Amino acid sequence: MATSHEVSTKPDAIKLDAESAKKLQGIAIGVAVVGVILAAAGYVTDPHRLAFSYLTGFLWITTIALGGLFFVIIQHLTKAGWSVAPRRHMEWLSGALPACALLFLPIVLFSHDIYHHWMSAEAAHDEILQKKAGYLNPTFFYVRAAIYFGIWIFLASYFAGRSREQDKSGDRKLTEKMQNLAPPATLLFGLSITFAGFDWLMSLDPHWYSTIFGVYVFAGAAVSSLSMLALINIGLQRAGLLHKISNVEHRHDIGKLLFGFIVFWAYIGFSQFILIWYANIPEETLFYRHRWEGNWKVVSMVLLFGHFVIPFLVLLSRHAKRHYTVLGGAAVWMLVMHYLDLYWLVMPTLDHHGAHFSWIDLGGLLAPVGVAAVLIARLAASGHLYPIKDPRLPEAAAVQNI
Amino acid sequence: MSTSVPISNEKPVAAVNTDDPVGRHPLVLGGLGFKSITDRVAGISLGKTPKTWPFALALAVSLLMVLGGSLGWLVSQGVGVWGMNSTIGWAWDITGFVFWIGIGHAGTLISAILYLFRQKWRTSINRAAEAMTIFAVLAALIYPAFHVGRVWFAYWMLPIPNQMGMWPQMKSPLLWDVFAVSTYATVSALFWFVGLVPDFATLRDRADTKTKQIVYGILSLGWRGSHRAWLHYERAYQIFAGLSTPLVLSVHTIVSFDFAVSILPGWHTTIFPPYFVAGAIFSGFAMVVTLMVVARTALGLKHLITMRHLENMNKIILATGTMVGYAYGIEFFMAWYSGNPYESFALMNRVFGPYAWAYWTMVSCNVLFPQLFWFKKIRTSIPAMFAISIVVNVGMWFERFVIIVTSLHRDYIPSSWSYYRPSLVDMSTFVGTFGLFLTLFLLFCRFVPVIAIGEVKGVLPAADPHNPHDAHDAHGEKAGVEHHG
Repeated sequence: MATSHEVSTKPDAIKLDAESAKKLQGIAIGVAVVGVILAAAGYVTDPHRLAFSYLTGFLWITTIALGGLFFVIIQHLTKAGWSVAPRRHMEWLSGALPACALLFLPIVLFSHDIYHHWMSAEAAHDEILQKKAGYLNPTFFYVRAAIYFGIWIFLASYFAGRSREQDKSGDRKLTEKMQNLAPPATLLFGLSITFAGFDWLMSLDPHWYSTIFGVYVFAGAAVSSLSMLALINIGLQRAGLLHKISNVEHRHDIGKLLFGFIVFWAYIGFSQFILIWYANIPEETLFYRHRWEGNWKVVSMVLLFGHFVIPFLVLLSRHAKRHYTVLGGAAVWMLVMHYLDLYWLVMPTLDHHGAHFSWIDLGGLLAPVGVAAVLIARLAASGHLYPIKDPRLPEAAAVQNI
Repeated sequence: MSTSVPISNEKPVAAVNTDDPVGRHPLVLGGLGFKSITDRVAGISLGKTPKTWPFALALAVSLLMVLGGSLGWLVSQGVGVWGMNSTIGWAWDITGFVFWIGIGHAGTLISAILYLFRQKWRTSINRAAEAMTIFAVLAALIYPAFHVGRVWFAYWMLPIPNQMGMWPQMKSPLLWDVFAVSTYATVSALFWFVGLVPDFATLRDRADTKTKQIVYGILSLGWRGSHRAWLHYERAYQIFAGLSTPLVLSVHTIVSFDFAVSILPGWHTTIFPPYFVAGAIFSGFAMVVTLMVVARTALGLKHLITMRHLENMNKIILATGTMVGYAYGIEFFMAWYSGNPYESFALMNRVFGPYAWAYWTMVSCNVLFPQLFWFKKIRTSIPAMFAISIVVNVGMWFERFVIIVTSLHRDYIPSSWSYYRPSLVDMSTFVGTFGLFLTLFLLFCRFVPVIAIGEVKGVLPAADPHNPHDAHDAHGEKAGVEHHG
């Protein structure tokens, strides 16, 4: 039977070899060390700026981890058969969530700086903020963050834990258990990411509101985590570790999902923009007004083309989605764009009249990313590269895009 | 072929449990094979008219006549026969329009989006769902066409160069609606027809009268079933699926713009586009379930439209209903969070004002009742799903009514507040649109293959090159063996 699979008779590797595992962890630790040093230097230089840079970096890695969790839940919800191996890789990403909880602590410390509009004394003189003080107050803000992380860590460890358990026992009942939790997990996930988006991003400008905002944050999480997934699969395939359970067909499928969510992000972003632009109510247009000042205008346009138009045209083709370099390049590009998207959401609160990229932003990014990467690398290095006893392995290996 | 296992015509169900993660539940039951599927489906179009069909058609046509009468009365008397007036300038008309357009969305979701996701279970329901789409869009188009009053000028909605230099307002989402809906109707009809060509050819080849042969012959466009024709067909199908997907999303997105681009509290909120799309799919699936529950029994298709198909659709109803509930919740939260007194008034007025009864009908029908589908027993019970699917349709009609009328009936000037009551013509027009829809659907069930014969065969185990056990030719089944559902 002619297939388009890369032909190889070797079995898939079950684990990373000791050397690569060590190297991977070494890189992660390196990034963490450099990041923390840069962030510390940034804190000494300009703590105010670092606070916002750190929030951007923290959200970048947290949304990627959350996107991983979403993917895992949805595969169980839909009883998907193609995605057995990618599911494991997304379990690694969602495994970073405990690190993200830890990484939230600096946000707590910085919160009076970042959210000074509604956390500081000036809020007491603001009539509108008084009305929403029942929601926007420091105590409830921290409690909610604790609830979100509680939900996420529970879900991530439940699914990853059952999945690892199955690696040992091969018990089909575990698949059923995960499938049973998936529907309520979807609900919990949807609500928690929505309100986390409201809390951490929307409340940067506490007067501004948009009902679609939670969906926008979710769309970014989906795009960025799928980009990361594409890179992981490309890496494992190119290293010759996986070629049966994850091959060109799975790469193609990940590419399709990435393409779909790029369009979804644009759809949600456009919906928010056009409704606010069209109605032209000052209290709403302010958000875009800020992002149109000085060179923020350039960033806005780069997002339009870089986060949608260009990747849309590039990934439209079947060949591109199946090609190592094109898909890999697009994935890296989308991860950069996701950072820029978050930067565009966060930084205008600080840089009012134009974007000023600074080395401190790099510290704000690399510190949380490095810390989370240490955890992700450890999961990848210590566990199996795919769920080796998943009951749907044969189905996943037989996937063909015809 | 030499290794082929003797084929059994026994039901293959017992061995496979739906929840077993190994293997998939078969999509075709009752041991139906290539030939018996054709026999079964083609038999509906070519065989004798079922006894109940004329009665059902008579009922549908009498409702259609109600529509004709109502519209005739409207044309002769003017749009004033409908109950809306300033300040409630839109009411049952747009409600009916959005209701029907929304229902159409499930058809495209099943035929195009589930195709892109290679969801094989779509094959036995896509044909009927697509037909439903087209008929629902036709029912929807009644409203804008007749709301213009002088219906013979309805073509003014299109930007046609004219000596008066009059153009439609290009900045209005209502005009975008004209483009979106007409494109959607055209592409859906083409998609549906392309899918039908091979099946029309089957009917042509089996036709027992000259008339049928000629009619189905013309419709099948000279289809000969060659390998090359199938290749082109598959390519066309893929392209149509790719085009229909953004189209269907754009339609209800633009419908939501009709309201959301305004500055009216209760209409202007950014979540409207995805929320309307989710609601449309929700209502559409409910309608598919309503129709399929009846059709699979009436037409003897229980082995093709199985409990698994119905259960999957009920799960989608649960998922999309919950998304709609999410949107209600976020709207509510944001009305409070905004600190905007007009926003919160509009929402409070919706929930506790004069139309509270409509709001709570909507919430119970759309959010509470579908939650019953969390229980497998309920999602696999025919009477329960039939009842809930109707409840959902009622709820989604109410949703549009609530959004439209409650936002309008109390504007910024309390002296112009009023309470809308539908006129008799409002009601008869709406009831009449069901006549149009059902008449077309009944004609479809009688004369067009209700199931995509070729596609269903493609999901038989025998058609799967990876299938180790059944890699034999399903033609091997004994001719004439029939299994009655």
